[in-house]
Amino acid sequence: MTQAEIKLCSLLLQEHFGEIVEKIGTHLIKTGSQPLRVIANDTGMSLDQVKKALCVLIQHNLVTYQLQKRGFVEYEASCSRVLRILRYPRYIYTAKTLYSDMGELIVEELLLNGKMTMSAVVRKVANRLTETMEDGKTMDYGEVSNTFVRLADTHFIQRCPMAPETTETSDAPPPPVPTLAVNEKDMYVVPNLNLIGKGKRRRSFDDEDDGEHKAKRQKQDADSKEPPPDDGIYWQANIDRFHQHFRDQAIVSAVANRMDQTSSEIVRTMLRMSEITTSSNAPYTQPLSSNEIFRSLPAGYNIVKQILDQYLTLLADDPLEFVGKSGDSGGGMYVINLHKALATLATATQESIVQERFGSRCARIFRLLLRKKHLEQKQVEDFAMIPAKEAKDMLYKMLSENFVSLQEIPKTPDHAPSRTFYLYTVNTLSSARMLLHWCYKSVANLIERRQYETKENKRLLEKSQRVEAILASMQATGAEEVQLQEIEEMITAPERQQLENLKRNVNKIDASENQVDETIFVLESYIESTVKKL
Amino acid sequence: MSGSGKGRGRAAFTFNIEAIGFAKGETLPEVAFKPPPLFPPTDFKPVPLKMGEEEDYMLALKQEFRASMKKMPYFMQKEDENQGIEKYSKKYLQMRKESMEWTPDWRRLPREMKPRKKTKKGGKTKKGKVATPKSNVDVLKKIEELEKKGDEEKSDEEKEKEKDKEGEEEEEEAGNEQEEYDEEEHEEENDYIASYFEDGDDFGAGSDDNMDEATY
Repeated sequence: MTQAEIKLCSLLLQEHFGEIVEKIGTHLIKTGSQPLRVIANDTGMSLDQVKKALCVLIQHNLVTYQLQKRGFVEYEASCSRVLRILRYPRYIYTAKTLYSDMGELIVEELLLNGKMTMSAVVRKVANRLTETMEDGKTMDYGEVSNTFVRLADTHFIQRCPMAPETTETSDAPPPPVPTLAVNEKDMYVVPNLNLIGKGKRRRSFDDEDDGEHKAKRQKQDADSKEPPPDDGIYWQANIDRFHQHFRDQAIVSAVANRMDQTSSEIVRTMLRMSEITTSSNAPYTQPLSSNEIFRSLPAGYNIVKQILDQYLTLLADDPLEFVGKSGDSGGGMYVINLHKALATLATATQESIVQERFGSRCARIFRLLLRKKHLEQKQVEDFAMIPAKEAKDMLYKMLSENFVSLQEIPKTPDHAPSRTFYLYTVNTLSSARMLLHWCYKSVANLIERRQYETKENKRLLEKSQRVEAILASMQATGAEEVQLQEIEEMITAPERQQLENLKRNVNKIDASENQVDETIFVLESYIESTVKKL
Repeated sequence: MSGSGKGRGRAAFTFNIEAIGFAKGETLPEVAFKPPPLFPPTDFKPVPLKMGEEEDYMLALKQEFRASMKKMPYFMQKEDENQGIEKYSKKYLQMRKESMEWTPDWRRLPREMKPRKKTKKGGKTKKGKVATPKSNVDVLKKIEELEKKGDEEKSDEEKEKEKDKEGEEEEEEAGNEQEEYDEEEHEEENDYIASYFEDGDDFGAGSDDNMDEATY
C-alpha cells in the first residue's frame, strides 16, 4: 500500500464512518492482518471500541477475518475495497439507468448498509418510494421484489457467503469463528419469499414527536417480529459486475468515437452476448459467429447481413484491434480483445494527460514514441519534424516527469557514455502506475481541501441550518410574510454571498473527485489486466 | 601528469556534450540550490470539468450518500471532551441516534466480537453517565487491568486460545467490579474514611452526654 493510497483510505473512512473506525481501519491497512488485542494495544483504544469498529467494517465488507492455526483470529483490511467507496455514486447511477428508481434505491440501501437480507431491503425501499409518491398512494412490495430479482439475475447483486446453520443439540462448544462458505451455484438464487405488503408513509408531525414515535414504533417492531423467512441470507452489491459494465461502456463509446454509431451497436451486442459466458478477467470474449450476432442485434436495427459482415471486417482490420477474427466458420468468428482494449484506453488516457500538461508538440513526440517503441534523440527530431533544440527540451521535460524513459545500449563492454546508444522509450505499464499514484494523491488533496473549506465556514453553515429549521417550523405552523422575512434577514447579504461561494466550491471539488475516479477506473482496470492471475 | 580534460580546474564530461544540445564552451544553466517551488506556475491551464445532467446527478448522489452515512448507526463519532456552545441540541441529536442502535448478526462474526452480557449492562450504565464521571471510570478500569496484568503474564505460557477466554473473563470481572467501584465512588464524596463514622446508631446521641467522665 503506497502512502497515497493509505492517506486516501483514511480520509474516505473518516468521512463515511467517523474517526474511531478510521483509526482502526487505517491501522489495519498499514500493518496487515492482526489479532484483536494487538489492534487494541497499538491504536490505544479500548477493546470495546475496537470490537464495535471491527463489526462495522466487517458489515461493510471492508475487513475479513481468518482463524489462524494457533487458535486466534486475525483481521485483515482490504485497501482496494476501501477505495471503492469513491465509486459508490457511479454504481448507484448505473443501477438507476438500468433499472430506474427502484434499482437505484435497492443498490443505494445495499451500499449504505453493507449487507442486508432481501426482506429488509424490500421493506426499506418500499417505504422510501412511498414517501415520494402522492398522498394516498403506496408502493407495493411485489414490484420492488421484481426489481430485486432482476438485479440478481443480471448478477449486479450477489449473496454473501453463508454462515453454517447451528444445531441446538451439538455438545461441542461452538467454534470461535464461523466458517463462511460460498456456494457458487446459489450465489444469485433469490429465496422464495412471499413478500406481501405496502410501503409505509412516515407521517410528518413535528420533528421531535416524529422521532419519539418512530423510536417507540421501532422498539415495538423489533420485539414483536419473528425472524423473517430469509433470515441469514444476506445480499451485497457485486462490485465486479459493475466494473465489467463500466468497462463495456468505455469500449463501446471508444468504438463510437472512432468509427460510427452502428459499429458501436454491433460491439455492444457482442459484449452483451458474452456477459454471462465470459469471466471478468478473460483476455478476450468467447468467439461469436457472425450469424449469431446478426440474430442478436437489437430489433430497431435493420441492417442487411452483408453490411454487418462489412462492418465486422472493418472492425477486425482496425489498427486499434478491439475486435479480432478468430475463425471463418459460421460466417466468421469474432472476438473482442478485452485486454488489448483496456491497454488502448489506458494509453489514450496517458496521451491526453501528456497533451494537457506539456502541449500538443510533446504529445506528438509521445505518440511517436508509442508507435516506434525506441528512438534515438536525432531520430525523434527527424520523425516529429520539430526543431532540434525544442525537441530536446521537450524530451527532457517528459523524461524528468518520468513519462519517457531511457534505454541504454552499450557499444563497448565498458559502457562508455560517448560510445553508448541512448534510446527513448515509453513504458505504458509503469507510467500507468505512476499516473494512478498521482490520481490517488489528487483525490486525497481534493478531499482535504473540501474538508478545510467546510471547517472554515462551519459557524456560518450551522447558522444557516438553524435559520432554515426555524423557517420550516414557522411555515408549518403558519406564519406571516413579515415574520418570515425577518427570519430570512438574519443572514446578511455578504454572508449569503459567502455561503454561495462555499457551496459552489464544494460542488466543484466533489465533481472533480468523481471525474478523477473515472480515470482511476481506467488505469486500475488496465493494470489489473496485466497482472498474471495464478 | 596528464591533465584531465581541457585544463586544470575546468569541468569535463565523459561524453560529447554536443549530443545533449549545448554548444561547446557555452555557459551551462545554473544549478538549483533549493527545492522546486510548491505550486509552480503551469504553462497550460487544466481543462474545465465535464458538465451535464449525468455529472450533476452523480454529484447530488455523492453528497446525499455522505449525509446519509453520517446519520447511520455505523458512524461512530468520537466523544468530544469540551462540548462548546452546542450542548442543548446535541443532547437531542444523540437521543435520536441512540434509538437506532444496530446489532450485527452474531452468527456471522467471530465469537470474541460479541460483548459479554455483563459488560453490556455495565456499558449501558456507562453510557447513561457519560456526562458525569467518565474519566474516573476509565482510571478505575485501568487500575483493574493493571492488577490483572500479573495474572496475564502467567498465562503467556499457555495457549493463545485460553488467553482469549481469560481475556473475556477478565472483562467480565472488570465489568462487575466496575459497578462496585461506582457505588463506592459515590459514597466517597468527602475526605473522611467511611469506616470511622457510621451514621445512625450513636452518632448524634453519643457526643452530647458526658457519660464518659462520670462512670459511677
